[in-house]
Amino acid sequence: MINMALYKREMKGSIKLLIIFGAIITMYVSIIINMYDPQMMKTLDSFVEVMPELMASVGMKANAANLLGFMVSYLYGFILLIFPMLFCILRGNALIAKYVDKGSMVSLAAAPVKRCTIAFTQMKVLVSGILLLILYSTIVELICAKSGFPEELDIKELFILNGGLLCLHLFIGGICFLSSCIFSDTKYSVAFGAGIPAFMYVLQMLANVGGDAEKAKYFTFFTLFSPDGIIAGKSSAIASAFVLFAGAVMLYALGIVIFEKKDLPI
Amino acid sequence: MSVIKIENLVRDYGGGKGVFDISFHVNQGEAFGFLGPNGAGKTTTIRHLMGFLKPKSGKCTIDGLDCWSERDKVQARLGYIPGEISFFDDMTGTEFLRFIAEYRKIDTRNRMEELLERFELDPKSKIKKMSKGMKQKLGIVAAFMHDPDILILDEPTSGLDPLMQSRFVNLVAEEKENGKTILMSSHMFEEVERTCDRIGIIRNGRMVAIDSAAALHERHTRSYTVTLESEAAAKAFAADFGGICNGKKVTVATKQSLEEIFMNYYGGEKND
Repeated sequence: MINMALYKREMKGSIKLLIIFGAIITMYVSIIINMYDPQMMKTLDSFVEVMPELMASVGMKANAANLLGFMVSYLYGFILLIFPMLFCILRGNALIAKYVDKGSMVSLAAAPVKRCTIAFTQMKVLVSGILLLILYSTIVELICAKSGFPEELDIKELFILNGGLLCLHLFIGGICFLSSCIFSDTKYSVAFGAGIPAFMYVLQMLANVGGDAEKAKYFTFFTLFSPDGIIAGKSSAIASAFVLFAGAVMLYALGIVIFEKKDLPI
Repeated sequence: MSVIKIENLVRDYGGGKGVFDISFHVNQGEAFGFLGPNGAGKTTTIRHLMGFLKPKSGKCTIDGLDCWSERDKVQARLGYIPGEISFFDDMTGTEFLRFIAEYRKIDTRNRMEELLERFELDPKSKIKKMSKGMKQKLGIVAAFMHDPDILILDEPTSGLDPLMQSRFVNLVAEEKENGKTILMSSHMFEEVERTCDRIGIIRNGRMVAIDSAAALHERHTRSYTVTLESEAAAKAFAADFGGICNGKKVTVATKQSLEEIFMNYYGGEKND
């Protein structure tokens, strides 16, 4: 079901991006967690007072109750959404559509390897990358929180929260992968693979501002990932994370089936 | 026994482009030359054989296996040189060949070394930095290194210098001797003439002629009989022009080259 030679090659191709995004995440997570300090909280709260819409649009709300709440406010609204999402977009497009567009898919298709094996391997590469990135973020969060505030963090809650985050990114990866499988032209693959998640994120930002714009939340899948709900232990929040996961499985499966059946202009 | 078989293959891209009701077969151990101008449908036909495209109607089989639904089984026995070479730019030639061997799960070392030597290719540089000819050589090595029984070669000598072209022609001749089945598209008349037993000519997506290379020649041979004033003159004339002398009469035949035959089928008309 999976071709190791291809998997190894593609994982090598992911490393550079993983290192870059890993470094960015390390920087932000360590800075933000170290900012957790009652004194500093006041400064951030004052930002929120001065420009509540702007801060809210990127998911930052005032008066987070504890360290995890603080992390949810300042990390799970922007940094931990955007960077793994960028990874999905860049790799998702490169794994299938770029090869078909450039013609180098010939080398993969002109071999006794089933097309579904090719697609499944590429999917595994994308999923492995997402998994590594979220796992790495979790470790960085743990290290920063434990070194700065040994008593403050509930590890189990952090794991559940990041499990939800993983489901969200698997879903985003699914959109990118499906679009990569459907389109033989990088132009369209990127337009849909990057366009849909980016548009959904903008809707989420709008919804966060509140007022009439809050209705936008019904039109974006980001609503299904509710970090506040997950750490409050709401079953609806957990259920919607599962919906994301199930959606992701469907998107990947659909992508593989489409790639198996389509004409390759190579 | 025919190994490669195409029956009534149709694929209409609109605007007169595509292939329309193409049928031909290639027998076991035979080399088939597939001639046609650019855009005639050679590559489209080959993509169907490779299982990249699904026939809109008609059928392609290789050794009885359907080229679309059983393509992975077909591919195990195929060697393919694509018409447009595009490999992974980020790899060196060596890495690419090693990757392909690992990807196909085969051991190819001896054969690979021999082919690299034959084509004087040093694959250590990045594919991105390679010239067209080097990439073409790399494509040839990648297609032949696993010793396939069936070879599908889409304009295999484009970008090669005359010396390398002739080495390639020799390689194909050797493979044919070893009983390989070969389908080669080309617009190099000479190489087709030298290597192929039968030739199919395609134009605007339709097969216009399929025949043995020899028969195509014969059909396009014209002979003239001239009468000269003396037998001595007739003898001299026959010797100069390679004719057959019969008293004062000499019969001379002109043999059109394949190139001229080709022009007969296409000459004067636009193809696009």
